[in-house]
Amino acid sequence: MVDFQLAPEQEILRQTLAEFARERVRPAARAADEAGAIDPQLVREGWELGLISAPVAEWMAGETSTRSALTGAIAAEELAWGDLAIALRMLVSSLLTLPLIEMGTDAQRRALLPRFAGQNPALASAAVVEARFDYSPGELQTRARRIDDGFVLDGKKCLVPAVEGAELILVYAASEEDAGRRRHDAFIVPADSAGVARRRERNMGLKALETYELTFDGVRVEASGRLGGERAVNYPRLISQWRAGLAAMAVGVARAAFEYARDYARERKAFGAPIATKQAVAFMLADMAIEVDASRLLAWETAWRLDRGQDAAVESELMRRYVANATLQVTDSAVQVLGGHGYIREHPVELWLRNARGFCAFEGLTMV
Amino acid sequence: MKILVPIKRVPDPATTIRVLADGSGIATDNVKWVINPFDEIAVEEALRVKEKQPASEVVVVAVGEPAWQEQLRTALAMGADRAVLVRISPPVDTGAVARILARVAADEKPDLIILGKQAIDDDSNQIGQMLAELLGWPQATFASKVELADGRCTVVREVDGGLETLSFPLPGVITTDLRLNEPRYASLPGIMKARKKELKEIPVETLGLNLAPLLKVRRLASPSKRQAGRKVASAAELVSLLHSEAKVL
Repeated sequence: MVDFQLAPEQEILRQTLAEFARERVRPAARAADEAGAIDPQLVREGWELGLISAPVAEWMAGETSTRSALTGAIAAEELAWGDLAIALRMLVSSLLTLPLIEMGTDAQRRALLPRFAGQNPALASAAVVEARFDYSPGELQTRARRIDDGFVLDGKKCLVPAVEGAELILVYAASEEDAGRRRHDAFIVPADSAGVARRRERNMGLKALETYELTFDGVRVEASGRLGGERAVNYPRLISQWRAGLAAMAVGVARAAFEYARDYARERKAFGAPIATKQAVAFMLADMAIEVDASRLLAWETAWRLDRGQDAAVESELMRRYVANATLQVTDSAVQVLGGHGYIREHPVELWLRNARGFCAFEGLTMV
Repeated sequence: MKILVPIKRVPDPATTIRVLADGSGIATDNVKWVINPFDEIAVEEALRVKEKQPASEVVVVAVGEPAWQEQLRTALAMGADRAVLVRISPPVDTGAVARILARVAADEKPDLIILGKQAIDDDSNQIGQMLAELLGWPQATFASKVELADGRCTVVREVDGGLETLSFPLPGVITTDLRLNEPRYASLPGIMKARKKELKEIPVETLGLNLAPLLKVRRLASPSKRQAGRKVASAAELVSLLHSEAKVL
């Protein structure tokens, strides 16, 4: 029933993106972090591989979609192994395109998808997270009020990536319908809509990625702007997909940190022997390896269920809790294995620790 | 224009190689396998010809075990049109590979064969030359620039002390040097399309060739560890050590 053998094309994809991450993404990571900006040429190189356009082009060609959450998880892990900020920047438009392909109405898909089909796709983003201590994607405070010809959005979002230059933002909000019964929806909002205000955030990690706080103050959205139209979306599935993508990226960051610490420990000598031969370090490395694999298994389980059209609400909840903590632990251990070297910016582990810290914040507290 | 590109499966250059204790080969557990980097350059060059002459066909061919399909599929994902795997079990020496490739070339009748100047595992640097000889075709090895026009191929090669330019009428054989090009990454659509492309397997027995090896690998050994350097007090001591210990003077 369970099969961990990747399909040949998944294996080629993994190897190709691993190579791309090793040769192009990783070498650019430190400079991007220091500069607080990512070289647009590098992002275009990622797009030329078809990261955004491939599933869109498939839909336009009327082909059966070969897209799968598992394949997406494999790609996300490899790119994030190179660098989390750059990976997110390359993939950000898919936060709109993938839900659109799967859950949009035909009219929405025909109107919006073509501009994401080329090698220089339009930019889109998604506004999910809210800066509240009791934030949960199942109880959003951003509200969509129905009016005659559409909706009015009010609320505040944070950690919205790459808003600068984005044409469209997929805004997750609670809408009230049917005698006050609450449900959740996603709305396709032009970034330049009246009533949308933005403020760039200054974060502990992900410095290379611009993230924004977005305020929606009476923003009007046409009726056709609700993803999925009257049928709306399968919201739990949408959230599970979002979480699976993030978790796969967290696995990539954790794996990067583990591999770096392992290789360092094999080279670095203390008291005449590589520190990897010392139990205190060896045990730590073993724990890190276990956490990376366990995290990947949880991420793959959620993706596997999604690919079979099964509900993954529980699995994705367990996954995000575990993976966020494990990634933080692994990246922290990597800094520890490197000792004093781990704390200075000449090694990447401090950058990975800062980036990993976010996984506990992207989706509310890991304590709840 | 039909271009045949022979490729070899080799350990990833980033992998640490461990020689088996009995010296019979290398440990293959946990080894990542890739297309020989020089052959990848050959695939890229063939694809660039196809981009200029869209009617061209690029056929990749490998001589090896079923697992070699992976590397053929990767070449298909980069953009090659179809693949041929001649199935054979090791050990296979360079002469046998050249004879098999010559037979495949006789069947496929390509205008041009492009392959790496050597494989990074055994560094033999023989297949291209042997293949040209068996086919009776002209050859240009270590190509750093390739141009095709009017049924002729012009190749620039890096030689000691400068550049040499060769020109020959097609068909012919080219082996690639490192600086010829920078191979592309397979794209996502390319990877998906590769699934539907033809990958033909030919059991080597059906070719009826005499493949008795002329070459036998007797033993593999790891290079000896480099000794740490030593500081000497004076030039006189250095000269004396070079004479008495290193015995180079």
